[in-house]
Amino acid sequence: MEMIKTVGLHKSFGDLHVLTGVNQTIQKGEVISIIGPSGGGKSTFLRCLNLLEVPEQGQIFFEGTEITGNPAPGEPAKKRKGKEPVDIDIHRQKMGMVFQNFNVFPHLTVAQNITLAPVMLKKKTQAEADDMARELLNRVGLLDKFNEAPNNLSGGQKQRLAIVRALAMEPDVMLFDEPTSALDPEMVGEVLDVIKGLVDTGMTSVIVTHEMGFAREVSDRVLFMAEGNILEDGKPEQVFAAPNHPRLQEFLRKVL
Amino acid sequence: MNFELFWGNVIKVWTEYWDVLLLDGLVVTLELTAIAVAMGVLLGTVVAILKMNRFKIIRFFVNVYIEVIRGTPILLQLYLFVFALPQVFTFVKLSKFAWVAVALSVNSSAYVAEVIRSGIQSVDKGQTEAARSLGLSSGQTMRKIILPQAVRNILPTLGNEFIMMLKETSLASTFYIGDLMTKYQEIRGATFISLETLLIVGIIYLCLTYPLSKLVGWFEKKMSNDNSYKKMPKHATYESGMVEGTDDQGDEPNTDLKALYADRARKHQLRK
Repeated sequence: MEMIKTVGLHKSFGDLHVLTGVNQTIQKGEVISIIGPSGGGKSTFLRCLNLLEVPEQGQIFFEGTEITGNPAPGEPAKKRKGKEPVDIDIHRQKMGMVFQNFNVFPHLTVAQNITLAPVMLKKKTQAEADDMARELLNRVGLLDKFNEAPNNLSGGQKQRLAIVRALAMEPDVMLFDEPTSALDPEMVGEVLDVIKGLVDTGMTSVIVTHEMGFAREVSDRVLFMAEGNILEDGKPEQVFAAPNHPRLQEFLRKVL
Repeated sequence: MNFELFWGNVIKVWTEYWDVLLLDGLVVTLELTAIAVAMGVLLGTVVAILKMNRFKIIRFFVNVYIEVIRGTPILLQLYLFVFALPQVFTFVKLSKFAWVAVALSVNSSAYVAEVIRSGIQSVDKGQTEAARSLGLSSGQTMRKIILPQAVRNILPTLGNEFIMMLKETSLASTFYIGDLMTKYQEIRGATFISLETLLIVGIIYLCLTYPLSKLVGWFEKKMSNDNSYKKMPKHATYESGMVEGTDDQGDEPNTDLKALYADRARKHQLRK
């Protein structure tokens, strides 16, 4: 089953053409890693998937529903006046996202970070959400931090909190935007362990990462993005051991 | 200068007029300040919200409003509201005191609007993204995530606004509305004792503004030390494994706000 499908995705920031027509289909249960040089469009692509960045052209199908409101190729432009064509908030509830800088909510306790959205969006009562928060925190070894303020946590702990905060919405897919790039080296492992544990449960995941070893270990498929598009798409063994595209060969020579 | 006479006069004025100064003048000053700041906050909130409106034309008019108020002397605004506007809006029956209060409120609103806006915009953009990515609407994000964090940046600065306004109400004495400075003029007129009275009035102002500014300072410090919102000192940052500059940035606005107030303080100085 197709979870996410993008067709001809274009995104520019001013004169900078960051995405140049990206086509990709992600199946349910797949674990995808996106690697590539900085400025190659990895993060932008990921952030387009839940419309944190809105692509100017091209379409995104999430579980079969087109969410951008952009016209299909050849179709006349739709009027975008008035109400948004799709309620993106509904779809975002099913797409968890983890950020490079954690973005935990500092004015709430650890538990409230997790329960806020499910309770507010009426998915759970406060009591149910609290139970779930306990269970999730236990899963990532943070149960003793239940009532702490997030800024008493280390970077690695914050990122683990951010992951379970997203999981509390019971998403169908998880998007990771360089989840370990802002961490001290010694804390990378604990976060990767949590992500690994998660993908092992069969969670569809898209991971933008610079951790090549990790990408190789957990992914079903690795995408190499540079110059605004996917230049190589294959099994991790193939991408890392027998890369085809010269740009990928050059990239791997530099990072490995 | 005859110091004996001087202190004698100070004591004389104080014993004779302390009730006029404290129970009359000071009360009016505080009333006026409280009304101006309270209304300024209400009005300023509206202005700040309008300033973040997505329609350019609304933002344009709001900017004009803010720039005009911040760019003209408060005394001019007082004249406008007390002398000019009542002649235009003859159907509005307000006392002189009320017109002064309106003028000060409008003046305050422009400053408060900027304080609120920069307080809101100082909250890290990642907070919005995280909340939206969970499926919260923009309104829910504003109420539950952004505003609670912005308030911490805004509150101390509003304290400064109160102190500033407390002093600015003295300008309203131009219209003899019974505030502390009006009382000074009355006492001077009755006793011909000027310098001594001025000293007493000055001390009364100081007795209010000094503790208040200390209080604001303490509050600011408390906010920034509070485990949440602000980055930890550099060494602690390293120890606890957070990467500099990546954490929730609660302290950025201060430069903005400080500049704003430095600007205002300068104007204040020039007036004196």
